[in-house]
Amino acid sequence: MAEDEIIIDSISKSFKQGSQTLEVIKEVSFNVSRGEFICIVGPSGCGKTTLLKMICGLEPPTLGRILIRGNPPNPKVHKFGVIFQEDSLMPWRNVMNNIKFGLEIRGMDEIKAKQIAEKYIEIVGLKGFENYYPHQLSGGMKKRVAIARALAIDPDLILMDEPFADLDAQTRSFMQKELFRIWSGLNKTIIFITHNVEEAVFLAQRVIIMTRRPSRVKAIIKIDLPHPRNRLSPPFISYREKILNMFHEEIWG
Amino acid sequence: MTLVNRRLIYSLLYYIISIATFLTLWEILVILLSNPYFPSPLSIFRAITRIAIFGDIDGYTLIQHIYASLERVMIGFFIAVITGVPLGLLIGIFPIVRALSIPVIEPIRFIPPIAWIPLAIILLVGMSRYAFIIWVGAFFPILLNTIAGVKRTSITLVQMAKTFGADRNQIIMKIIFPSSLPEVMTGLRVGLGVGWMCIVAAEMIGGDPIGLGRLIIKYANLIQTDVVVAGMISISLIGMCINYMILALEKRMFKWRVEVTT
Repeated sequence: MAEDEIIIDSISKSFKQGSQTLEVIKEVSFNVSRGEFICIVGPSGCGKTTLLKMICGLEPPTLGRILIRGNPPNPKVHKFGVIFQEDSLMPWRNVMNNIKFGLEIRGMDEIKAKQIAEKYIEIVGLKGFENYYPHQLSGGMKKRVAIARALAIDPDLILMDEPFADLDAQTRSFMQKELFRIWSGLNKTIIFITHNVEEAVFLAQRVIIMTRRPSRVKAIIKIDLPHPRNRLSPPFISYREKILNMFHEEIWG
Repeated sequence: MTLVNRRLIYSLLYYIISIATFLTLWEILVILLSNPYFPSPLSIFRAITRIAIFGDIDGYTLIQHIYASLERVMIGFFIAVITGVPLGLLIGIFPIVRALSIPVIEPIRFIPPIAWIPLAIILLVGMSRYAFIIWVGAFFPILLNTIAGVKRTSITLVQMAKTFGADRNQIIMKIIFPSSLPEVMTGLRVGLGVGWMCIVAAEMIGGDPIGLGRLIIKYANLIQTDVVVAGMISISLIGMCINYMILALEKRMFKWRVEVTT
């Protein structure tokens, strides 16, 4: 495999709640190669979001270290495209200006930013919606705006936190295919958090399964299936069952 | 006829019935009381037209009174905006500013504008007297709404901006400020309304013979209550106009905010 883009070296995270200390993540280690698509699955409340926030430098780990291309994560050094679980569009900006936001922060001039934004509006299939405001868009369209905004800065790393959790089944399946299409075209490194095992098997090259809190890495499973993956094929189902079993061990003990 | 049209006609009808009933009851009350100082709607209407066309005892017309009052309110309001909005942003953003300023601001907030009048008479002269009283009225709604707007800013949006490498200034200018703008505008609308309502108090202490508040006081001394109420109604109508103008502006500016359009 290619060189390690991201090194996560036995990180732990705990939060102080009054006199008690809540240990969320304990000695988690894994590496990610350039251009790899990683899915992280785990029971709810296991600290997946905290892990993602540490990878993009929003939260420091309590112990251990994270290195991205040899440096600790820093949004001013690395280019992160983070897609949050919650709605993260600015309601006062239209689609075009939401997508331009990251470029604006990086000080790109107006005309060039607009050109790039137009390109990504086309890639995520929102042509004709440039002047729409978030409240005029459906849930799936909002997620696509967030994805286009993340892609527009040409990120070193894309981090997605259950991006499709709030979508209905059909939109979700459509968005998974779209994301795969975009990823295979651009060859970006993606870390994708989900609690949907089927989604993970459908998308990932490797699936990282987390334990209950305090969360450790339970297993890392390589999904050796060609794309496009058929959800009904026996090997797909066998991967799914294998991961689901581990997942259920964590939920039910 | 469409449903919308029918609704519009009905609400217009109720509007007319409401006003007409009120005026009729008022006229009846005037007849029943038969007190020469209790003004009737008709005598007030005559007083308004008389002041509007021929002016008051000093020769100032209604428009001149309105203009003088508006100018004073705008100066006081403007000072309230340039003090209230920045301070509100600072208090909302920096906990240390909040901790240091709220102990002082909070008690002052509960002193009504009228209680400041004696002090203003002693310490201030000219335009500064008017401006100060208006400022006292307008400042706190602007300040409090601005603070509330900052507090309402979504943490997810701030984190989103951080992951793109935004520094503190960018987060303030591109996330916190635009996000709190609807509340700031509400503060401006309420502040201007309160400031306008302080005009009588402010003009009670100003020496100038002009202004709607001064008009009321002048004719109260002459016991000409029809002109007094004419001045009161002028204050009310202009206050309403200002309020609806800013509301319309808010709706235009904040189309993105679904709550405003409903």
